[in-house]
Amino acid sequence: MDKAGYRALRVWLALVVLTLVTYAAGRAGLGGRLVISGLLLSVLIKGQMIADVFMGLKGVRSPWRWMVTGWLLVVVTLIGVAFS
Amino acid sequence: MEAVATHPAVQEKSGLPGDFAIWIFIYAELLVFGVFFLAYAFTRARHVELFNTFQQTLNRESGAINTLVLITSSYFVVMAVNAIRRNAAKRCSQWLVLAILGGGVFVVIKLAEFSAKHAEGVTLSTNTFYMFYLSLTFFHFMHVLMGMVILSVVAVKAHRGDYSAEEHTGVETGASYWHMVDLVWIVLFPLVYVLH
Repeated sequence: MDKAGYRALRVWLALVVLTLVTYAAGRAGLGGRLVISGLLLSVLIKGQMIADVFMGLKGVRSPWRWMVTGWLLVVVTLIGVAFS
Repeated sequence: MEAVATHPAVQEKSGLPGDFAIWIFIYAELLVFGVFFLAYAFTRARHVELFNTFQQTLNRESGAINTLVLITSSYFVVMAVNAIRRNAAKRCSQWLVLAILGGGVFVVIKLAEFSAKHAEGVTLSTNTFYMFYLSLTFFHFMHVLMGMVILSVVAVKAHRGDYSAEEHTGVETGASYWHMVDLVWIVLFPLVYVLH
């Protein structure tokens, strides 16, 4: 496997771990501001990893990459506001 | 012909993988899903008890498994793009078939989930939570089906040898759409199934 393949594999593993953490939090019935903030932060991280590595936007010139990052930031922040 | 002729220049300028037009579509789709997510979140803020109560009736395991299936399928698509960049067209096609199978697993699990809710008598008009749950997840479901069709066309073309290391815009275009479907689900799953 080449370098790009290994990078994608690392991102896939990180996405799996963060998804399992999200599921575990839901299964345990965890809620509250701190848990919601943590889960939303993990959504941001997962989304940015998908955009940068899977979609291949990391080296892409502005504003194209930032439009996806901006979408994630706005949506996740406003969801946080609605849940607070 | 003019659009085809100007395409490489547009791609060169933006640096985006795949056809530039798919990115306009992707940004538009993200905008629509974003509005949908925020409508859910702010409507929930006015009906917290209702949303929390009926969220408990969802099959969280199905949602989590489908998340794992989609990110794995997305990984296969990344490998397909890597393969065609090395001029391995047949390998590219094989990775795409795996990605499509992943999409198929997602569809089967989602249909089982919809079917269970239907058997319980749940409809769009049952309550506000279910209205959002059914419409949001069905809207996303349709995108998965559309993505599977796109990937199937790309897989067939790759198998026929229509793509190469030098020209594989079609593979990157299909891949970009599939990753968008994955990206949207990454937000949808915690929002609808977990956060309360």
